[in-house]
Formats: sequence, C-alpha cells, structure tokens
Amino acid sequence: MLKLKKLTCWTAGMFLCQQSMAQKVEFTEYDMPNGLHVILHQDHTAPVVAVSVMYHVGSKNEVIGRTGFAHFFEHLLFEGTDNIKRGEFMKIVAANGGENNANTTQDRTFYYEVFPSNQFKLGLWLESERMLHPVINGIGVKTQNEVVKEEKRMRVDNKPYGNLISAIFKNIFPKHPYNWAPIGSMADLDEAKLSEFQAFFKTYYVPNNAVLSIAGDINISQARGLISTYFGEVPKSEPIKYTKVEEAPITQQLVDTVYDANIQLPMISATYRVPGMDSRDSKILEMISTILSNGASSKLYKKLVDDKKEALQVGSFNYALEDYGAYITYALPNNNTPLHTLLQDIDEEVVKLQTNLISETDYRKIQNQLEKNYISTNAKVLGVAENLADGYTFHHKNTAYTNQEPEQIRSITREDIRNAAVKYLQPSFRLVLYYLPAKNS
Amino acid sequence: MKKVIIILLAVFLCHYAEAQTTFDRTHQPEAGPAPVISFKDPVIYKFPNGMIVLVVEDHRLPRVSASFYIDAGLVTEGKKAGAYGLMGQMLNEGTAAMPKAQFDEAVDKLGADVSLNSSGGKADALTRYFPQALELLSQGLQTPAFRNEEFEKLRSQALTGKQNESRNVKAVSGQVVNALLYGTDNPMGEFSTEETIKNLTLDDVKSFYNKYITPSRSYLTIVGDIKPALAKQLAEKLFVSWKGSNLALPVISTVKNPVKTVIDLVDMPNAVQSEITVSNLITLKLNDPDLFAAKLANAILGGGAEAYLFKSLREKRGFTYGAYSTIGSGRFQETFKANAAVRTAKTDSAVTEFLAQITKIRSQAVSEEDLKNAKARYNGSFALNMEDPQVTASYSRNILINNLPKDYYQTYLQKINAVSVADVQFAAQKYFGYDNTRVIVVGNAGQVRENLKRLPFEVKEYDRFAQPVAVK
Repeated sequence: MLKLKKLTCWTAGMFLCQQSMAQKVEFTEYDMPNGLHVILHQDHTAPVVAVSVMYHVGSKNEVIGRTGFAHFFEHLLFEGTDNIKRGEFMKIVAANGGENNANTTQDRTFYYEVFPSNQFKLGLWLESERMLHPVINGIGVKTQNEVVKEEKRMRVDNKPYGNLISAIFKNIFPKHPYNWAPIGSMADLDEAKLSEFQAFFKTYYVPNNAVLSIAGDINISQARGLISTYFGEVPKSEPIKYTKVEEAPITQQLVDTVYDANIQLPMISATYRVPGMDSRDSKILEMISTILSNGASSKLYKKLVDDKKEALQVGSFNYALEDYGAYITYALPNNNTPLHTLLQDIDEEVVKLQTNLISETDYRKIQNQLEKNYISTNAKVLGVAENLADGYTFHHKNTAYTNQEPEQIRSITREDIRNAAVKYLQPSFRLVLYYLPAKNS
Repeated sequence: MKKVIIILLAVFLCHYAEAQTTFDRTHQPEAGPAPVISFKDPVIYKFPNGMIVLVVEDHRLPRVSASFYIDAGLVTEGKKAGAYGLMGQMLNEGTAAMPKAQFDEAVDKLGADVSLNSSGGKADALTRYFPQALELLSQGLQTPAFRNEEFEKLRSQALTGKQNESRNVKAVSGQVVNALLYGTDNPMGEFSTEETIKNLTLDDVKSFYNKYITPSRSYLTIVGDIKPALAKQLAEKLFVSWKGSNLALPVISTVKNPVKTVIDLVDMPNAVQSEITVSNLITLKLNDPDLFAAKLANAILGGGAEAYLFKSLREKRGFTYGAYSTIGSGRFQETFKANAAVRTAKTDSAVTEFLAQITKIRSQAVSEEDLKNAKARYNGSFALNMEDPQVTASYSRNILINNLPKDYYQTYLQKINAVSVADVQFAAQKYFGYDNTRVIVVGNAGQVRENLKRLPFEVKEYDRFAQPVAVK
C-alpha cells in the first residue's frame, strides 16, 4: 500500500506552509539461491498485478560488429519456450485479459505483464518459462530480423529527427559502447550466427543478472511460495563481467552536422557528457533542466519562444544512463532565425545559472514541479514495479531509492545548482550538432 | 446518488472449478477466482448555465485533476481552417488581468499543469494548490486576453510547423486519409494549410471563441484527493455566474463510400516506408446493438499482436513493425481503418494481404477460441482500468454525452460476453469494407506505382492536400 506520510510544519509569516507529503512505497525483497533478486509490493486497491523482470543487459553489453543484440532479444524472447509454442506467448497474455510489452535501453531490458490479479500465477509462469528455456532457433531469428528492420525504418529512418540521439552519442562517446544506439546495426544482425545469439542469452539472461519485481494485488507470503516454485529451478550462471570504458574528458568543443530527408526545419543541439544516474550531480542536472525548460515560465521557453519569438520549440533534458549521462539542449527556429542565434540565447541562460544563484522563488517553483512529477511516477502498479527494480539495478542495490528521491531533491541547494552548471555546462566540454534538412533528391 | 458498482469478471470464473493443485510446468496455470471489480459513481451537480460537474474521490495520492470539456460536436471551419485550433491555443496566452508571462509564472509556481484548448482544458495540481490551479483554468476560459502580439506569434509558429510537416510521412498520411474519406468540405476531412493560416485574423479567433467557449453543454470533471462538497464549492465560485452562447449539436450530412474499391496514391519521395490505410466510413453509435460484435470483430482482425493483421503482415511476412485496425463509434460518422507502415518494396503485397485478411474475417467464421480470447481482453482491460479513477469519471461523462442507459457500463461485460461467432461475422460484413473500400497509400510513388497498377483496382493519384494529380 502506498502509505501517506504527512509531515506538518508550522511556519509564521507570509509564506504558505510548505507542507511536504511523501508517499512511501512499502516492499519486501530477497535473493533466491540461484541469485534472482525478488521485490514484492502489495497493493489491494485494484484487482491488478504487474509481473516484471529487469535484466541488467542493454546495448552497452554488446561488442563492435555485433550491435543490436539486446534489443533483438527483446523481440526474440517472445518467440516461445519449451512449453509455449511459437507465437503463443503474446496470445496467452491477451487471452487471459493481460497486457505485456518489453523495452530495451543502453543499460537494461525490461519485460512485463499486467494481469487481473487472479492471473498472477500465469505471469510467473510466462516469465519463468522465458528465463528457463526460451526457444532460440533459425526461424525465430529470421522473422524477428525482418521485424526489427521495419522497426528501425519506422522509428529512425522515416521519422523526423529520428537520428538525433544516435548522432549525438556517436560523437560524445567515441570509445564507450554508448557510441551505438540500442537498435544497433542491421548489417551486424544479418551477419550474426544462431550460436552467437544463443551464447548471448546464456551469458546475460540469467537469474543472477535479473530482478523479478512484482507489484499489486498479491499476498506476500503466498507469492514467495509461488515464486520459488516457478523460478527455483532456473540454474545460476557465471557472474557477469562488465568493465566500464572510461572516456577521456572533452576539452574542445566538437561540431558535427547531419542531414535528415524527413524534415524541412533545421535543429541545433548542444550536448555535454555528464556523470551517470547514480550520482547526486545527475539529479542536480535534472533540476537544471526543470529551470531551463519545464513549463512556459521556464527560462528558455519564455525567452526564445514567447519573448523573442525566435524558436518553435526549445528544450533541455538529462539523458541519464548508468555509466554516463548526456545533458542535451536543443531548439528549432521560428521566423527563419539563424541557428547560431538560438545557441547564443540558450548559452546566455546557462551562463546566468553559472554566475548567479537562482532566485528563492524559482527554487520553490522547481521544488513544486518536481514534487508533482514525482507523485505521478508511482500512480500505477507497473510504475511501482519498475521504479523499485531501477533502484536495485542502478542505485547500488538501493531498492528504496524511489522513496528517497523527494528527500534528495529537497537536499539540493541553489549553490549546488550553480556549481553543477559551472562544472559540466562549459562550451569546451560539449558537442554542437547541426541537424539539417537533406536536399531534395 | 453515490453507489458502488460491483462487477464479476464472468469470463474468468469458469477456470476456477478446475484449478489444479500440483505444479506442472508443461501446462499454463489455471486462473484464481474472478476478481471483484468495484467502482464508485461520481457525484454529479448541475449548474443553471448548462455546466455539469462530476466528482470522483480518490485519496491515494495527494493530487487533484480537473478537466473541462465543451461538447460542441464537430466544428466546421471552412475557409477559416485553423482558426478553431488557434483559438484554443490563444486561451493559453494570458488573461485580461494577467499578461502571459504572469499567468505562466502563476501556474508553474504551483508546480501545476494548466492547459487550455478549443474544447476546454485541464488543471492538475498537488492537493494543496488545486484551488489556485482551477482558478487559473477558469480565468483562461472566461477572460482570455486575445492580444495581437501573441496571435501573430502563434500564427508564425503554425506556419513554420506546416512547412516542417510537409516531409513527415505519418503526418501527411493522417491528414490526407481523412480528407479522401470524408472530403475536404466535411469537418472531419478539412485541414488547415499555409494559405488558410496566412488569411486568419484575430477577429476570426474571437468569433470562434464567442461561439464555442461556453458553459453550455460543458462538463467539469474533478478527480482525486478532494471531497465532493469542496469541489462543488470551488466550481460554484468560479463558474456558476459564467454566461455564454447556447450550443446545439450540429447535424452533419452523411458521406458515401466508393462504389468500387480504389487505391489512392500520394507521393512522398523521401519515404522509406509506405503508410497504407484501408478504410471505409461507418455509422455506429455507442448504443447500437451491433457495437459489441463490431468491437470484437475488430479486435480479432487487428486489435493486437495475436490478431489476423499482425500475425500475417508482421509475424508471417515481416512487412512491417506492426499492423492494426481500429473501429470508431459515436454520434457522428466514424471510420473503420486498417493501417501499417510497410517497407516500400512490399507495398503492393501488403495491400493484397490487408484485403485478404479483411475477406477472411468477412467470409469465414472466427474460431471459438479467438472470440473467447478477444472477450477475455475486454474483461481484462476493464479490470486493469480500475487502477485509474479517471476512467470511472469518463464512463459517467460518456453516459451523459451519448444519452446511454444508466447501467451501460455495469452491463458492459455482460454484453461483450453475450456476442456469438455469427454476430462477429455479421458485424465484419456490415462494417469492414472489401469491394467498396478505399486503400490509401502514402509513399514513394515512383517505386510503388507500377506494382500497385497490377492489382485489380483503379489507382488514383493525389497530392498531399488530397487534390487529384495527373496520372503518369
């Protein structure tokens, strides 16, 4: 249950009482003998249960020449298992009133089902089948190879600005495997042998590299018994070897240009390499993006879109990943404004953050904005399951991270914000990318 | 007034009797006893100015959201295409009392989301700031500033956006499909262009405002951490004295489908995939006795990863990342659409396959298993939706807007579960066109034209504004 913890405070004077309410997500967690980490959250509000497995494998576990494997497995592991005929996996979910999907990032792959709670066992069966003995054969690889190519055409090649992120990452991660996008190279997938796919599965899709995170209308003690029945027989595997590739600092501004046939309007972006998501600085950078571009009164939106009317869109966000992050600012011009003018105007606002402390009013504003965003992240059981698994996987086994986030946000001071802007957002540390329309063919 | 509705998920009940006790991994586990779904009816208040207030209490999280919806039906813009949407945007550009910057600051300071559009708007906030957020929404609706400077800004943005859309295959397809189906003189088929936007004036925006932003036929839905009495009190204070024009639901003339199936080809030289849409117009009101059979027929044909279209076009042939179909329902003429983005080289094969799958569901009875599974999906999503109190609120609003029986959603699953195989086939024949449908292909015409012409259908070519072009 989400328990509301109300901390009342008493203030005199003119300010509204800054009452803080944090929801604490209660959970139970343990390791099974085969190394599978289990997280359980009980909430009887609706007759719904989310069963999810987060495998700590993403595109950064791939090697050059064989990119796109982790994302490919996102597809392949729906093909069937020793006990589930080819093509039946998704059918079983739908036929029993559930929903399922999966997604892959540079760092992890997340599979889930959401069911009416009387189908809890079915969710356990499906995920344990997938972990224990999926069928990885030629026909599945061939079919999914075509499907992945269409996915790439749809999400990247045919989509306006679809190549932006991969163009940025290619430049700011010359050595680290964040260099390539999770969708990977189609040529690599074409050349890969079946045995290579099977070996990748054996290495990474193992209980000791996974978190089983379950949230919803369950009974904890009964759930524990069922989990040990379904997942107990999955064999433990070798520990995963992963060494982070260290990138040398960027010391001189990088500039690159890419062309896109699906657009008419150019875009400019500036990207700074920043620390990974487990760092406090990563959170501070998230706050900086709130100041710069969250809401119509934010610094960049107000200035570029409303006051100077020179941008159609402007934004900034911290693309936070496990080993590093990418702090990205971007703008699309309006009224034919030159791209360098947009960049200059964005830079001015960054310099202000580096020079002066933000006002008390602005500070309270972003605290309110972040508190409101935070509240929505745990509104549904699937979100709870994922947030708990994220905490364990990416915050040093700190499953409770989601509960500590509001406190961490409150602990960040105006000085922290100024210091992080100085430390990370310098022109000489960045990539400036011109994203331009391709000439008509 | 406030009652709790309880529904048993009947479809899942039958499994329980045969529940097994021993563990056998080779078989799919049996379901537990059917969960009980319960939801509360909202508390409803009616104001003399025509506004209806619905309140659903949900105290799990310290937040409240309000949505304001004006039921104007379909709005015809004609030569002023773009004015209605632009009017909605102008409601976010400051009020009589507050210039835009001040209004935005007031919203963001609360950490709230307040946004307005041509059919109303919404305000979401932490519980402690909700009264202020709702007040800002009401000011945006009732006293917009309508200054020329902001109008010019939005118009220039709209023009830039139009230019940028011209190479976006998906966006062009979305526009041209409805234009070809309904005709560009119909509110569902008309769209704005650079030309129409250039000709708009601030007075056009004001006249759309005077007609369409009004408490008449409006619904204020408040959901979250709030007591109904307080919600009512806030709404009264902000809205009860508001007067506006009287709205009536417009009558729109019915549009015919083509006599014989035709392929409409729209050239986008930059496309690497073709957007294919097979579509016909239908009339299917929410209280039509065919509704549930038609929804299930659509679910079996193209409702998801286990449906005919996905199985054939993606899983069997690998033409596309996904192929789906949708069927609309409501008070006006709606569409049945089957759609996929397929790779250019397979465009003609995919068209053939779409029509083959539509033929299949029209001519062959669906399996008992497919029907049972489709019903299970509806039962399941009904349960899954119970996580979201907005859904309960939307059920009540739908009943009012569509003039449905009070027990419409209480008996929803009963009606779904009563549909037979024969009902599904009847609905497929009635609502999914085959020999009098429209196949719209937006893609690289140079590469797909010749192969499409080999199919036994007339091929007509259009530009991205749905205007005929000479066939080469």
